[in-house]
Amino acid sequence: MTGRVFAGVDAGSSATKCVVLRFESGGETVVGHAVTPSGFDYADASARALREALASAGAVEREIASAVATGYGRAGVRFPDGVPRRSITEITCHARGAREWYPAVRHVIDIGGQDTKVIRLCDRGRMADYRMNAKCAAGTGTFLESIAVRLGLPLAAVDALAMQSTARLTLNSYCTVFTSTEVLERIKAGDAKEDIAMGMFRAIASRVIEMLAAGGRDGPVAATGGVVTHCRAMLRALEEALEVPVHRPPLPQHAGAYGAALLAAEGSAEGDSPALHRAVEAPGGGVGAPSCACGDSRSLNAPSCAGSTSLRGRPC
Amino acid sequence: MGETAVKRIEIEAAGRLRALMRRYFLDLDEAAKDPGRRVAWCTSVGPCEILAAFGFAVYFPENHGALLGTKKISHEMIPRAAGLGYSAEACSYMNSDIGCDLLGCSPLRAMYGIEGPPRPDLLVYSTNQCRDVQEWFRYFGHRYEAMVAGLRPPRHLGEVKAEHIADVRVQLERLIEQIEIRFELRLDRRRLRETVERSSRLSVLWGRVLDTARHRPSPLTFWDMLIHMAPVILMRGSEEAIAYYEALLAEMEERNACGVAAVPGERWRIYWEGMPVWPRLRDLSEKFFDLRTAVVASTYCNSWAFEPFDGGDPLDWMARTSLAIFINRDEASKERFLEQTFDRFDVDGAVFHNARTCPNNTNSRYGMPERLRERLGLPVLVLDGDLADVRFFSTAQSMTNIEAFIEQMEGRS
Repeated sequence: MTGRVFAGVDAGSSATKCVVLRFESGGETVVGHAVTPSGFDYADASARALREALASAGAVEREIASAVATGYGRAGVRFPDGVPRRSITEITCHARGAREWYPAVRHVIDIGGQDTKVIRLCDRGRMADYRMNAKCAAGTGTFLESIAVRLGLPLAAVDALAMQSTARLTLNSYCTVFTSTEVLERIKAGDAKEDIAMGMFRAIASRVIEMLAAGGRDGPVAATGGVVTHCRAMLRALEEALEVPVHRPPLPQHAGAYGAALLAAEGSAEGDSPALHRAVEAPGGGVGAPSCACGDSRSLNAPSCAGSTSLRGRPC
Repeated sequence: MGETAVKRIEIEAAGRLRALMRRYFLDLDEAAKDPGRRVAWCTSVGPCEILAAFGFAVYFPENHGALLGTKKISHEMIPRAAGLGYSAEACSYMNSDIGCDLLGCSPLRAMYGIEGPPRPDLLVYSTNQCRDVQEWFRYFGHRYEAMVAGLRPPRHLGEVKAEHIADVRVQLERLIEQIEIRFELRLDRRRLRETVERSSRLSVLWGRVLDTARHRPSPLTFWDMLIHMAPVILMRGSEEAIAYYEALLAEMEERNACGVAAVPGERWRIYWEGMPVWPRLRDLSEKFFDLRTAVVASTYCNSWAFEPFDGGDPLDWMARTSLAIFINRDEASKERFLEQTFDRFDVDGAVFHNARTCPNNTNSRYGMPERLRERLGLPVLVLDGDLADVRFFSTAQSMTNIEAFIEQMEGRS
């Protein structure tokens, strides 16, 4: 094996994600990624995610040149001894990951388990400002999960129902508990369950609008995070609310870990590799690149996936 | 961040402050027990000079509210007040103080060996800061069967005009008359002038202490100021407090002369708008310290840096200063003040604390941060929290917000 390996771990409240980048001497980039439940032990979850991501990239621990931990549990992330590490917030990492996929993006909406963030990027791709939800689960993944549990449905079933919605129905978005009650009231009132399910996603989208309005709505928008990964209806609700197309990266849930791995490479003395610069500057895969959800561990951001190892812009 | 162990340099005057506060509270306790003395409760920017000139020992319950917050026990007190019908979203100082009274405990016992706040003979509030103080004092007036009097100055002023001053002056004269009748006292006007002169000297000294933070690196931070501001609130008109601030000022000037930094390796300078988050002071100060960021100025600490007494009518000065405080001004005046202060202290960004139960001391709810960000190009962060009720504050979320804010500034440099 040749080249340098950089790791990013995003320890979220629900899931811990890891992305590993290898910049090979020939200019190719190999990508590995993994996701695992965070549970109660971030050290354990991060070690597991790193191990799986390294395996999928065909790399081993001792090759890691540098690493970045991000996410709610970033302080608890464990990297192998001797690996230079930094801690960077998920806000910066999501912005970095999304920008790599979509260089022209101006707004990144990250809907995670505990937090929803709206990040505004300036022309140069730097973070101009950001907003995070208040201390409240409404408008986050937890909001959806708790209502799905109340309904006795898996989240995937709620999403499938929502995608069949035909009528516009809006739910209160200010309290998870009261929204659950409102959902039950709507069911009793005879509203279609498909429309009620879509109303839940609209409730989240309305919270996003509150945060987005402050920075204006100029420029392309990308959505990241676990909710966007698992729920097509979330993207639909966002597009409906924003009245613009919203880009969904190939692996939205890994955007923070991807950004962390890129920042690990950029912050490393030896991370200034020509391959990384090519990856960052390559014109392909910008805004408008079609989404990919193939789940192939080696195709983090290719427009279409068939099993090769390119970082961006090439068929894989 | 924080990988290099950097030590905080303690402020030497802190020991003297502790002794000063101890004497202040022990004296209050003695006054409450002495049939020959009287205790008055007063709001923090109320007419305390009049009360001191009448000979009352003056106590400020807002200090107790902050203390309950700092001791991280407010959230145990607040539900008690809520049970009496005080909304949990009303002032958390008020609610925790009322709850503390209902529970019959106070941290003052452990700190100074006294039973708690001194029993009042008189309670005087001014609504120049908010309306909640009126309800707060009404509760304790009823509780102790003590006289409650209030000033209701004109609010949300742009320019402080002669007619506003005249209005408050009339209210002050009426207050004096009420006290004279109720307690069969006569106000010694010469004593009032002397008290105002000392109060002004104290306030000016405090302003000079705050101004030492204009130096790069700053010799003290907002977190230090929050501790050292106690005498300027509690002991206005006191020679002891004047001597204390002279010593503190000398120490800060010495720090500046020697280049001693409150945050060694100071990289960023921040303005704090709004109330402190008393239960999380340590967490916040350590986070900023680790990020090599000095919070060098604040609206809150500046609230007791009044304009100097010009030697004219003491009541005019009291009226003018009570009207001119930041919290009593209109949005345009507040914005202008913030813009000028950002510039004076050469800050790199501003944090606005959105205190859930203190709308009057929160300025992030009507677009001000966004307007300032747009106009000045200055990074601005709004932190959700509260002054005392920790249930409204998420430590993890706030720390991420603060770190991201610093990363945002790093990205701009």
